[in-house]
Amino acid sequence: MGIIIMVFSTASSVGKTLLSINMAAELAKSGHKVCVVDFDLQFGDVCNYLQLKPQKTVYDAQLAIQHDLNEYVITDYTTPYQYEDVSFSVLAAPLKLDEAYNVSAQAAAAVVSRLRSEYDYLVLDTTAAFSELNLALMDLSTIITFVGIVDFIPTIKNMKVGYDTMRGIGYDQNKIRFVLNRSKSKTNIELEDVEQLLEEPFYHVLPNDFTAAGQSIHKGVPLVLDGQNALAGGLKELVAKYTNRLQESSKGKASFSSLVKRFFK
Amino acid sequence: MQEYRVLLIESSRMMMERLSSVIRNTKDFQLVARYREPRQALGQGGVFMPNLILLDIDEPENIQFIPEFVRTFPQVSILCIASQWDSEGAGEIVRAGAKGYLVKPFSKEELGSAMDTFGKSGMGIISEVITFFSPKGKSGKTTLIANLAMALAKKSGQNVAIIDADLQFGDMAVFFNLSPQSTIVEAVRDIDFLSPITLNSYFMPITEQVRLLCGTKRPELAENVSPQSFASLISMAKSLFRYILIDVPPAFNPISIAAAEASDRVFVVTMIDSGFEIMHMQRALEIFQDGPDYHDKVKAVFTRVEPCTEEEEKRLAEALGYPVYAIIPNEYLLVSTAANNGRMAVDIKPDSGLARSVDRLAARICSSQDKVV
Repeated sequence: MGIIIMVFSTASSVGKTLLSINMAAELAKSGHKVCVVDFDLQFGDVCNYLQLKPQKTVYDAQLAIQHDLNEYVITDYTTPYQYEDVSFSVLAAPLKLDEAYNVSAQAAAAVVSRLRSEYDYLVLDTTAAFSELNLALMDLSTIITFVGIVDFIPTIKNMKVGYDTMRGIGYDQNKIRFVLNRSKSKTNIELEDVEQLLEEPFYHVLPNDFTAAGQSIHKGVPLVLDGQNALAGGLKELVAKYTNRLQESSKGKASFSSLVKRFFK
Repeated sequence: MQEYRVLLIESSRMMMERLSSVIRNTKDFQLVARYREPRQALGQGGVFMPNLILLDIDEPENIQFIPEFVRTFPQVSILCIASQWDSEGAGEIVRAGAKGYLVKPFSKEELGSAMDTFGKSGMGIISEVITFFSPKGKSGKTTLIANLAMALAKKSGQNVAIIDADLQFGDMAVFFNLSPQSTIVEAVRDIDFLSPITLNSYFMPITEQVRLLCGTKRPELAENVSPQSFASLISMAKSLFRYILIDVPPAFNPISIAAAEASDRVFVVTMIDSGFEIMHMQRALEIFQDGPDYHDKVKAVFTRVEPCTEEEEKRLAEALGYPVYAIIPNEYLLVSTAANNGRMAVDIKPDSGLARSVDRLAARICSSQDKVV
């Protein structure tokens, strides 16, 4: 039974896809058998970021599972990614929007269960919504990587609302890992205020590096496989924490500034 | 404060007593005459110098008398009263010359706010509904809608509504720094019992002419909003507002599809960033391609465009393979400062590139020829 890492957020464009492919690449580099599944079914970017042209997608996989449960080989539906000596699999998002619209949560869960028996790690890239699909995936996941950025007050409100919702569902605190992306980007909101609001320290903080991220996407190669920079280092460290190669650290609580406080009292 | 001299026409004796007592007890309203039939009112009503006529249209033939009331009492406002809201009927009575529509029995508050709402300009029969869809989210859509609503109100001098139908993570309430008493969840829940006047109170006032129907307070409440009731809500809101701007979630789902279907226009909004946006926009446009009036209805809008020039607009249109309706420049700091303070960029810096391009877009929407009746 493979470990499932879901990458989730309550705001769009926070770096879920970038995080997903880099976690997959880093896990693969350490010798694990890894598959990234693009569950942003309508507008997925995993294959765009890796410059893959998939022949088959999650849509075909779930169709096959429904029609022929026994003769079905899940790896027939994945697309291989390779860079130098590192390789992992991708199960792509559907090519057409109407296909995406017709993938049920139940069928998607069946696909994940099949993949799980073939891989050490599954990384699930998702959309920012509490959809039926995402709730089913959350149930199946070992860890939910909850990605946030600190930019506008509304984004932070949604993080808080999202976290409360997940806790409301009954997931352990330990299952949900807050990862802050793009720290130190242009903003006048303090990180400590956000932690205080969420009542939870960030499990991991990734530095902001738009240039490196942009170049990686342009080149189609995950950051952790190509060169040295702070963001790649941060991504590697996160995977090391997940695989218990690094001691987990904890942070103290800081004071609450009025800017954020106003909205939640 | 104007005093209303009310002439009431109501066929049911019981209802007449009930409404009479409400009218008499409403501040600034005086009941000057009452009749059970429109013919009697037409013949004798003038003696009492009414300035407001409440006409019962539960008797369907009474609708035919509206033009005659307009001729006989040219300075008088006519409100139709009926037991149930009927959006088709509402269009008919407004075309015949009535100012508005009120569901009876009504309360003092409803009577008062009916005149506040319909008194000046009458109930809208021309209303334009625009849905804002963005394939991937984070498109600056909330900012655009909020600022555009202000600009449209200023330009047209008429009422504008924002409906936050991004049910799980709608940001409008936070954006405007509001803690809503009622949201889209309650409005949709109650819609079968509402009329435009009572629906109006579910919208939070932002300015005198701009109102907002807020999104859900918690994501799980989104499940309570059914697409059918949501569509009824949009249709009723059309008699209250000249422009209705609807923010929908960044995915095709039953709610965003219902909004798009109920709309006169769909703006597909995307920011320019990693380079795959154009591809996603093309995919989104494909969905609408088979609909009637595809090119009239569906408009492409790009945000965070740098440099925000005509050449860039041309380049985007070419890459997209579809005309570009508007481009909005990137003003990250201005927008984030505004968003964090619950204020509008168009107010903070009216001469900024952002404010100017939103104004241009508003002007384009106001001047568009294909008005919907």
